[in-house]
Amino acid sequence: MLKSMIRFRSAFAELLFPALCLALVCGCDRPGTPEQPAKPGTKPIVIGVSLMNLASEFIGMINQSIEARAKELGVQLIVTDAQRSPEKQVQQVEGFIARKVDAIILNPCEVEASSPAVTKALAAGIPIINVNSETRTAPTAFVGSRDEESARIAMDYIATRLNGHGNVLMMQGFLGQAAQIKRDQGAREVLKSRPGLKLLADQTAEWDRAKAISLMENWIQAHGTNIQAVFAQNDEMGMGALLALEQAKLKEKVIVVSVDAISDALQAVKAGRLDATVFQDARGQGSTAVDTALSILRKQPFSPQVFIPFQLVTRTNISNYTK
Amino acid sequence: MSPKPATPKSRTVLRLLERFGLVIVLLIIGTALTLLQPQFLTSANLLNVARQISINGILAVGVTYVLLTGGVDLSLGSIVALTGVVAATFAHPGEWPVLVPIALGILSGACCGALNGLVITRGRIAPFIVTLGMMTLARGLALLLSNGRPVSNLGTGFLAVGGDFLGFPVQILILLAIAGASRLFLSNMRLGRHIFAVGGNEEASRAAGLNVAGIKTFAYTMSGGLAGLAGVMLAARITTGQPNAGVAYELDAIAAAVIGGTSLSGGVGGIGGTLLGALLMGVINNGLDLLNVSSYYQQIIKGIIIIGAVWLDRRQRN
Repeated sequence: MLKSMIRFRSAFAELLFPALCLALVCGCDRPGTPEQPAKPGTKPIVIGVSLMNLASEFIGMINQSIEARAKELGVQLIVTDAQRSPEKQVQQVEGFIARKVDAIILNPCEVEASSPAVTKALAAGIPIINVNSETRTAPTAFVGSRDEESARIAMDYIATRLNGHGNVLMMQGFLGQAAQIKRDQGAREVLKSRPGLKLLADQTAEWDRAKAISLMENWIQAHGTNIQAVFAQNDEMGMGALLALEQAKLKEKVIVVSVDAISDALQAVKAGRLDATVFQDARGQGSTAVDTALSILRKQPFSPQVFIPFQLVTRTNISNYTK
Repeated sequence: MSPKPATPKSRTVLRLLERFGLVIVLLIIGTALTLLQPQFLTSANLLNVARQISINGILAVGVTYVLLTGGVDLSLGSIVALTGVVAATFAHPGEWPVLVPIALGILSGACCGALNGLVITRGRIAPFIVTLGMMTLARGLALLLSNGRPVSNLGTGFLAVGGDFLGFPVQILILLAIAGASRLFLSNMRLGRHIFAVGGNEEASRAAGLNVAGIKTFAYTMSGGLAGLAGVMLAARITTGQPNAGVAYELDAIAAAVIGGTSLSGGVGGIGGTLLGALLMGVINNGLDLLNVSSYYQQIIKGIIIIGAVWLDRRQRN
């Protein structure tokens, strides 16, 4: 419902923005809200937002928090969805530049191909804030999270549960992708600092649940009861490892931790099946991006790189993450 | 075939090699793996291999029908995703009898396959292009139906398809049943033999009065329907309908069939070889994991073994 409203609004904004923006504002904001941070008489701040893909649950959450924060601060938004196309994204940013928006929030589709969007905005003198993912060209500011940290949190949790001693298996993502490289790096940092933890084996399951089941089945054959913990670099693979361990009736003896906090994983944590997952704070990223944009526009000091911390989700705090 | 006359005895050996070339390759690899890692030759591990080859095996049997007609089917992986999502949507606990999601999964796969066949035969378009189009189309449908998100919370009856029955994985029992039926059908039924005829020489088949378009459409429908079955089996195994699942599964299936001796240009091949091909790929995967070979080397070794197996097999045939 909310998503279709956003789409509807963005389609409007694309087509008829100049003529209809007043009508839209009146239609969406209740008149007479007590807080009115934008001073009456001055032109409201307009921020153009280009999102990678609104069909993704995670990006949808970033968008909701951007909208909520903008509404609180009386900032006007033009939200567009690039539907995974960097080319479309560059065009959207060109549109924002032509309309002379005050600032741009970019959720890049791609490191290289979305870079021209940043270059063009900077050349036009419009501050641009990247949210969640990076581009080759450095923007005015970046708001996101560090993938290494997610793996570090997961591995630390395993270390704590095992009292620093035990055999660990690691399921890698698609080899060579940024998230795989960084999560691998984070996990290995912890392994290095904890000599009691032994990496029995690591292997890719390509982020895929079916491949993870097969890999875990094979690992159970190869390592049997020597396995004390499994770290999977995403929840899909974590769920796969979990299913294979449950089928082999070994789950009681093995700790499984993964990253992303997808809804399946959260359900599994709640049911006491998955030991932990690591949550990337979409809401924190979205609202901080709006705050950073405003700080830049108001010429207040701002940090060019804001890292929103990941959060470990276990059975003890699961209620904060599920409805 | 051999130009020089052979003694009866050596001819028997040759015929054995010809018939069992792939079996010998499998035995060599199996023995090597057992020596390196005794755990390979345990019933628990062999059941694992069975579990792991079932889905690829079903797809490979399906694509064998199409390859025998001289066609190709690139849409299998996407059909697996689509039918998995369809089945999962109707498999929530307490909503429908378990046969409904299974039947709908197979049916929707068969529809995709039939559409492939009709467009290929009526439109006279290359199978490569049509099934490539279906690959994108079915993936899009899967994403649309599932809203881009995995469909989870499936009933226990449906999940039993991914479980065991009397100690055997249900999935391998399904594969054996499908492969057995397909083998009988292709060698003993008239329509089955016509599939070979169409792939061997399409013009001659047409001249002999065969309904070439109908036979081809049948082959694509089988391929699609079996991909639907594989989609149901995958959803049961991973306990969700995943719109992103099955990427590049068609390549593994085609590889299994070709390793097993089915020709990419049609008319030659069969189900027995396809099963052996799927088994060989499964054994390699399992063995490399057991031996803890690093991911980078695994891919290189797999490539070499696949090419080497086909090379050895073909050399023995000639």
